[in-house]
Amino acid sequence: MKRDPMHFLSSERRMPAEVPVKLRILDGREIFGEYDAEGAADQAARCLDCGNPYCEWKCPVHNYIPNWLELIREGRLFEAAELSHQTNPLPEICGRVCPQDRLCEGACTLNDDFGAVTIGGIEKYITDTALAQGWRPDLSGVMPSGKRVAVIGAGPAGLACADVLARQGITAVVFDRHPEIGGLLTFGIPPFKLDKDVVRMRRQVLEGMGVEFRLDTEVGVDVSFDALMDEFDAVFLGLGTYAAVDGGLPGLTLDGVQPALPYLTANGRYALGIDAEPPRLDGKHVVVLGGGDTAMDCNRTAIRQGAASVSCLYRRDEDDMPGSKREVGKARDEGVNFLFRLLPKAILGDEHGRVRAVEVVETRLGAADAKGRRQFEEIEDSRREIAADQVMVAFGFTPDPPEWLGKHGVQLQHNGRVRVAEQGALPFQTAHAKIFAGGDMVRGADLVVTAVYEGREAAKAIAESLGVQALAAA
Amino acid sequence: MKAASTIPQGARTRMSGTDQHAQGPSGIGPKYSDSAPAEPGYQGLFDPTLEHDGCGFGLIAHLDDAPSREIVDLGLNALSRMTHRGAVAADGESGDGCGVLIRRPEAFIRTLAEDHGFSLAPLATAGLVFLPIDETAAARCRQELAAQLAKTGSRIAGWRQVPINPQAAGPLARERLPRIEQVFVNADRGEDAAGFQRGLYVARRRAEMALSDVQDFHVVTLAEHSLGYKGMVMPERLRDFYPDLAHPRLASSAVVFHQRFSTNTMPRWALAQPFRFLAHNGEINTIRGNRFWARARGARMRSPFVDFREFKPLVSQDSSDSASLDNMLEVLLTGGMDLLQAMRILIPPAWQNVDGMDPDLRAFYEYFALHMEPWDGPAGIVVADSRYAACALDRNGLRPARWALNANRMLVVASEAGVVDWPAREIVAKGRLGPGEMLAVDLHRGEVLESSRIDQINRERAPFKRWLKQGVRYLETDLIDPRLAAEPLAPTELLRYQKLFNLSAEERDTVLKVLAETEGEAIGSMGDDTPLPLLSKRVRSLYDAFRQAFAQVTNPPIDSYREKLVMSLHTQIARESNLFELNPAYARQVMINSPVLSQRKFLQILGLRDEGVGSVVIDLNYLAEQGLDAALQRCCAIAEAAVREGTLLVVLSDRAIREGHLPIHALLAVGAVHQHLVESGLRSDCNLLVETGTARDPHHFACLIGYGATAVYPYLAYQTIYDLARSADAEARSVEHRELGRSYRRGIRNGLLKILSKMGISTVASYRGAALFEIVGLAKEVVARCFAGTPSRVGGPGFDELQADQQQLADRAWNTGFGVEPGGLFKYIHGGEYHAFNPDVVGALQVATLTGEHADWLKYAALVNQREPSMLRDLLEPDFAAATPIALDEVEPASAMFRAFDSAGMSLGALSPEAHEALAIAMNRLGGRSNSGEGGEDPLRYGTEKNSKIKQIASGRFGVTPEYLVNAEVLQIKVAQGAKPGEGGQLPGHKVNELIARLRYAKPGIGLISPPPHHDIYSIEDLAQLIYDLKQINPTALVSVKLVSHAGVGTIAAGVAKAGADLITVSGYDGGTGASPLTSIKYAGGPWELGLTEAHHALRANGLRDRIVLQTDGGLKTGLDVLKAALLGADSFGFGTAPMIALGCKYLRICHLNNCATGIATQHHVLRTKHFKGMPEQVMAYFIGVVEELRGYMAQLGVHTLKELTGRSDLLQIRSDTDARRQRIDLRPLLAPPPNPPAAACAPGRLTRDSDDIHPRLLAEVGPAIEAGSGGHFSYAVRNVHRAVGTALSGLIARRHGNTAMSANPIRLDLSGSVGQSFGAFNAGGLELHLTGEANDYVGKGMAGGLITVRPPDDARYVARESAILGNTCLYGATGGELFAAGTAGQRFAVRNSGATTMVEGAGDHCCEYMTGGVVAVLGSTGLNFGAGMTGGFAYVLDLDRGFVDRYNHELIDLNRITLEGLEAHLQHLRGLIERHRVLTGSALAADILDDFRGYLPRFWLVKPKAAGLDSLIHALRRAA
Repeated sequence: MKRDPMHFLSSERRMPAEVPVKLRILDGREIFGEYDAEGAADQAARCLDCGNPYCEWKCPVHNYIPNWLELIREGRLFEAAELSHQTNPLPEICGRVCPQDRLCEGACTLNDDFGAVTIGGIEKYITDTALAQGWRPDLSGVMPSGKRVAVIGAGPAGLACADVLARQGITAVVFDRHPEIGGLLTFGIPPFKLDKDVVRMRRQVLEGMGVEFRLDTEVGVDVSFDALMDEFDAVFLGLGTYAAVDGGLPGLTLDGVQPALPYLTANGRYALGIDAEPPRLDGKHVVVLGGGDTAMDCNRTAIRQGAASVSCLYRRDEDDMPGSKREVGKARDEGVNFLFRLLPKAILGDEHGRVRAVEVVETRLGAADAKGRRQFEEIEDSRREIAADQVMVAFGFTPDPPEWLGKHGVQLQHNGRVRVAEQGALPFQTAHAKIFAGGDMVRGADLVVTAVYEGREAAKAIAESLGVQALAAA
Repeated sequence: MKAASTIPQGARTRMSGTDQHAQGPSGIGPKYSDSAPAEPGYQGLFDPTLEHDGCGFGLIAHLDDAPSREIVDLGLNALSRMTHRGAVAADGESGDGCGVLIRRPEAFIRTLAEDHGFSLAPLATAGLVFLPIDETAAARCRQELAAQLAKTGSRIAGWRQVPINPQAAGPLARERLPRIEQVFVNADRGEDAAGFQRGLYVARRRAEMALSDVQDFHVVTLAEHSLGYKGMVMPERLRDFYPDLAHPRLASSAVVFHQRFSTNTMPRWALAQPFRFLAHNGEINTIRGNRFWARARGARMRSPFVDFREFKPLVSQDSSDSASLDNMLEVLLTGGMDLLQAMRILIPPAWQNVDGMDPDLRAFYEYFALHMEPWDGPAGIVVADSRYAACALDRNGLRPARWALNANRMLVVASEAGVVDWPAREIVAKGRLGPGEMLAVDLHRGEVLESSRIDQINRERAPFKRWLKQGVRYLETDLIDPRLAAEPLAPTELLRYQKLFNLSAEERDTVLKVLAETEGEAIGSMGDDTPLPLLSKRVRSLYDAFRQAFAQVTNPPIDSYREKLVMSLHTQIARESNLFELNPAYARQVMINSPVLSQRKFLQILGLRDEGVGSVVIDLNYLAEQGLDAALQRCCAIAEAAVREGTLLVVLSDRAIREGHLPIHALLAVGAVHQHLVESGLRSDCNLLVETGTARDPHHFACLIGYGATAVYPYLAYQTIYDLARSADAEARSVEHRELGRSYRRGIRNGLLKILSKMGISTVASYRGAALFEIVGLAKEVVARCFAGTPSRVGGPGFDELQADQQQLADRAWNTGFGVEPGGLFKYIHGGEYHAFNPDVVGALQVATLTGEHADWLKYAALVNQREPSMLRDLLEPDFAAATPIALDEVEPASAMFRAFDSAGMSLGALSPEAHEALAIAMNRLGGRSNSGEGGEDPLRYGTEKNSKIKQIASGRFGVTPEYLVNAEVLQIKVAQGAKPGEGGQLPGHKVNELIARLRYAKPGIGLISPPPHHDIYSIEDLAQLIYDLKQINPTALVSVKLVSHAGVGTIAAGVAKAGADLITVSGYDGGTGASPLTSIKYAGGPWELGLTEAHHALRANGLRDRIVLQTDGGLKTGLDVLKAALLGADSFGFGTAPMIALGCKYLRICHLNNCATGIATQHHVLRTKHFKGMPEQVMAYFIGVVEELRGYMAQLGVHTLKELTGRSDLLQIRSDTDARRQRIDLRPLLAPPPNPPAAACAPGRLTRDSDDIHPRLLAEVGPAIEAGSGGHFSYAVRNVHRAVGTALSGLIARRHGNTAMSANPIRLDLSGSVGQSFGAFNAGGLELHLTGEANDYVGKGMAGGLITVRPPDDARYVARESAILGNTCLYGATGGELFAAGTAGQRFAVRNSGATTMVEGAGDHCCEYMTGGVVAVLGSTGLNFGAGMTGGFAYVLDLDRGFVDRYNHELIDLNRITLEGLEAHLQHLRGLIERHRVLTGSALAADILDDFRGYLPRFWLVKPKAAGLDSLIHALRRAA
């Protein structure tokens, strides 16, 4: 399609077709469809090609967004896929799960008044369509280095690391305790945001690049860490953060109270076909505690599992919620009931040890603190109960480093995060020169895309440490 | 060591606190001790040897060679009547030099000899010699000359002390006054005059070489044919200074005279003109190349009479351009060449692209083109030798020359008409010289030779056409070159080349792709905000260190697109031979149409080997261990050996890359080899071909050619383009593949022509080797080996660093793990090159200006002030430690400082009216000044807070009306713009809406063109004239001149100051732009730190600093930037981009597309009205932030006022905490104490004076009638020294009544005589000027209304319709009014006319260029290139010789017959105009036509823009009526 500088005025922002709410809460599949080539070109052509590409600047992996938008405008799909993979080993996944409204699309110049370019949708389109048409990363020019690296954890950080290692001729062997790759991508993120076939496809792609997966293999249980240290030239740790924050709330052990992750994981296992029966919440009144993206995932999953009502409790105002506005909007569309300025004090059970309500106190917001976040205080005499059959706690996660780490001199921060890049070390190199770490276990629970970034950069550092030249800038 | 410690102690103490000597508007810097030693290396940036000049010139000759005292008197008088074309030094008395060259004053010489008792032989002459004051040195000179003369068979008869009156020179000139003597020489061997003359030459040259160490030895003339007198005096004092000139026996048959305007005030007596043969008005732009080639050719210059090989250098390498040209002319003439031939070879007319040129004549030029490149640049030359007196103009006709012949067979040629007071009844013919024309008097035969006659003589000298037919091979391009990639590289191989030669994806997509697809360069917006290459942390291209030279003020750039006919890229491949021998063998050559080779041509040329042409391919890839410098020397040695063996083609190739080896950068190789071959005297024997992967954009080619390459084959560019096409999905594209290479070459050629024309150069032959660059960022060793002579002032990477860079690229290239570099030079890319306006900076600035919180400001300022050093200023820091701080409230308040702050010129057109007004309101509320830019301003804004206090006058003159000009505090002449110096601009049609069209006097939807030059500034004295004109129209306004930083800008600034400017802006390369080719943004202009400092130093050295407010702009962002600029010498500061960002601009760099999403750089209605959210308060908050930050630093430094900061470079020091590479940068010249002003400089004041009181008289006598609006009738006599007659009255009218309101009660002025330049400039409605006589250049420029008529006196003997009555560039930028003239006009008649109606009886070249409105009727023939770039209005042309079809520019206009049936309205209109012409001017031609109107009608063309329909013209007619 021809370049028209005014295209952004004549063609509005348009996402791919969205499955109507009524249907999507029934089938649990991804809610967005796919552009066709023309639709993608039309939306890509809205890009102003700014001198300061704010999208790229804001993107944690700094995707060459304007450049691949231009290629899509010209219909050059495979080149776009190639370029997209230069900065992001998992573009079709980020295209689905990134909070674009806070990142690239939020920074898009057109976002202010015109509606941002649908960067996420196009990113997803590029790789989905290219892969469907048979495109695969071309590693034919890569010279094998003879080096081997163990990657522990097949989550976004580990996968990104493995991809970049493979591109430098380094053999990556990825270990994961789960039966499928993806980590949180597979077991945490609900299928209506990320179809499990997408991850399976990615596995194929990575295997095609020479990445080896050893699944159902828990390091420290099924294979010892020492053995890996012997066998491999370096080790990358991408174990994520799996210890749930519970706030010491009374009543956590009651029947019907579940931390978010196990709840979402069960759902993921069904979606993968590991578990035969779908978890259901038919007729239940569900209360979700927390205001982040994980809380939204719980909310929306509960709706799809047939809950009679889903209420989301958050202690501050809507504006203060850490999660993506877009997710909140979707949740609300799908029928989630948001209750703001309520601080859970306890989860209350009945005589059978089953949850019956959440005790809350109302809050009011004070002035903003140094970080611009408003503090709250409790309002006296405002305690009340909110009835619940099922409570999901989504307060966040902290690292749970395995005990074998310490033996090899890897140092941790007081909060359990792995210390890297200290005292002249390479980026993402731990106190042990052969061990690298990245993703949530280094920076704390964060976005998929930041984990991808860390995995990618760690792979470059590993290559450097092994005397293999790092990849081109990105 | 801190720079401050180099300043003498005494200076420091005197600097502190209260300086009582502060004077002038600029404040004052420290008074450095007079005895401060000038340590080399700490010299500062002003180089006094750089200078430019412009001038007035002329000659008077008697056709029959009859000497008379009258001729001498006429010459001296004419000279004194061009005083206004020269300039005066800071002492107000010393002229820039003037002089006369008197032909064979035989009687005078013999009388003097008799008086002194010298015995003269029958063949004898006298010469004028400047000698050292010191008697011992003078004696040595005399002896040397005597000895050399004796050797050549001449004998000195005696020396005479020339009487002088030093009081007639100013004090500055007296300081350097040499001893002036005359030497009388006899021919002893009984030779003929020519032999005597040759002997004098040889003796003088030998003496000069022997005395090269004696500074003041200068032979003014020592010739058989003429005697010169010259000096640093005002023209009217020349006769006082040399009483000889009043001698009654001083009679001559021809006198050449010259008055100089130098940009410098350093008196250099030797540089006064005329030189020994010629006087030159203008500037040789290619001088560096010409001198280089003269050196290269010196080795083979041998005539049958003189062997020039002993004279080194053949032409002067360090005096003025004119002096070098005189030297070369002298060589040719002394070698036996005829003057008519020599002049035409040195300064040929355009011949390559002129249709219809006689083939024999073309062959004459082509034959000699191989042996002499043009000395190119604006040139009006008067010259005399033993047989001829002549005048010639350059191919562009950029200097005026008017001539008249009287009944006594005396011919006068001069810069202006009216320098002799011959009554009209005595004049039998008069005219002007056109571009590339020559007029000569053959004194032996007593006849005038016009251009065509001279051409005839020249083409008959030899059968050139036949010789060329036999000897020349033309390598024609096939329409489609199937071999663009006959041997395509495999993708992995290509990738390796791309990585090795640093070709990024960005460059591939934004540069190569666009060139190949559009045949033109990519356009970008905003400036270059990346670090200077020498400061970058990335590996940058070597080409990035080269900043293109561009013309500003002292010479004009050319419009290579609309004036194509003068441009040529023709390149010859052959061995040069002896210029003095005419020989058919010397015509053997290969001719190619451009130096950009296709693969096919490259192979064809290499294939010449088969025909016995030797070639050597020098592999540029070297073993890394060998070292770069050694590798270069090896190349030089191979080249030298090969050429000595007779090899014609030296090919430098980096194609054979291999691991472990590094390619020498082709530019280094070309520079070193070319330089080496020149020094070995071998360069003329070979051609230098370059096969390189480094050449991709036009700048790359310009660098290679500028340093000596004959032609370039850019294989990597072709391979990359081929690959781009290969990778495209669509099968259909493969059809186009084959033409992409051709399109790419066209794109490069267009870009190359633009780079040439930017410097005012027309042919690649004279660009080749001219080294027209400034280097920013190379070590001395590199410059010395490869680019000797190119200015390079701050050092930078040396051979080791360059090799390390290339090694880094090679490491990546041979590693398959790396992909192609993403880039990031044009646009920000994360992890790529740093950008000063990156997203963080933009965001922080917007937050700070929205909240107005100081804390937010500090966050923003920290982002900028603590960035990695990116600009030169980042390497400097204020020396807070050494200062004694004061309390913040002791620093003058912000409100007192804002008047030093301007917003930079951004036109309404580039900006939306909302944004433009917001800026104006903000600046007015603060007390600063906003700048209108070049697009005019809505009169509704005058007198309100939306009025821009600075009104810009740019080359397009859009909206420049009398009313516009009188509503300004400052009138800024934009000579150059930082982002695209030397270039014009274009406002695309889609940005021209109703409002823009109204303000610019144009039509909506039609694109508007700003020409590259101001057509009334081709030279420094032209600028003086424009300043004069502006001061006439608005006497209270300050006149400002905007320049761009480049080596030599200081000298230009000094010239500008002498021309009468009040303010000078020196812009950095990093200024913004609405739209500009990317290579201009990246490669032209220099950093302001250098330009500002140089200007400050130069103005001080010339004693002019106190007259000038010096401003800088270019990327200024914070208070720290301002502080540094002030300390380096700025009084005032301009801001463009940052206030835009405060208004909401997000630095999108899409300004040229009209789709600015922030509503700032767009005229789109929706975007402007709905999406522009900027408020003046944000802009104000920005400036408050800057000034408050600045005040903080001032308190720390203990400085109370901004004024006290200016020029205190001692308060700056060089940062010591930078890395090793940056430590190689030497900024000490920036911090050096500025030179002291000359002791003789007088108090500030205007430099130019009017010679009489016509303007006060006019105002006093006519003014009351204007005040009363009553009209009236007045009469005056005028002379050529009366300039801008009527303009002051128009100013008064505009102030009282606006542009046109007084039209109903007009003032009528009847004038008689030859009026000076700018007659009726900026004429307002209500002023009618009726002149009987003739006018000079610029009649009616900027005219908005009223009437001007010019007619010859009734008793004139010449035929009016064949005689020049108007000069050049009349009606330039006129927006209304009428001009009728019974005679012909000069070049560029009605250029950029947008509303005036006019009729003349003939016109020169480029008539109606860029016209956008109005009606031009020419009742006679026009010159070439009629209507180039004409987008509006229409014209009638009477085409009696039926040659008009060959003379108009076919691109935008078409021709229509005026028939009775179809165009009744036009017919009536034309007849009405002719009738009016007859009535107003008494034109006999008009009467003839009306007498037989039906007979004449079929000979008329109606000329209109193709885009305009005939109907719309009729509509325009009615409006015009």
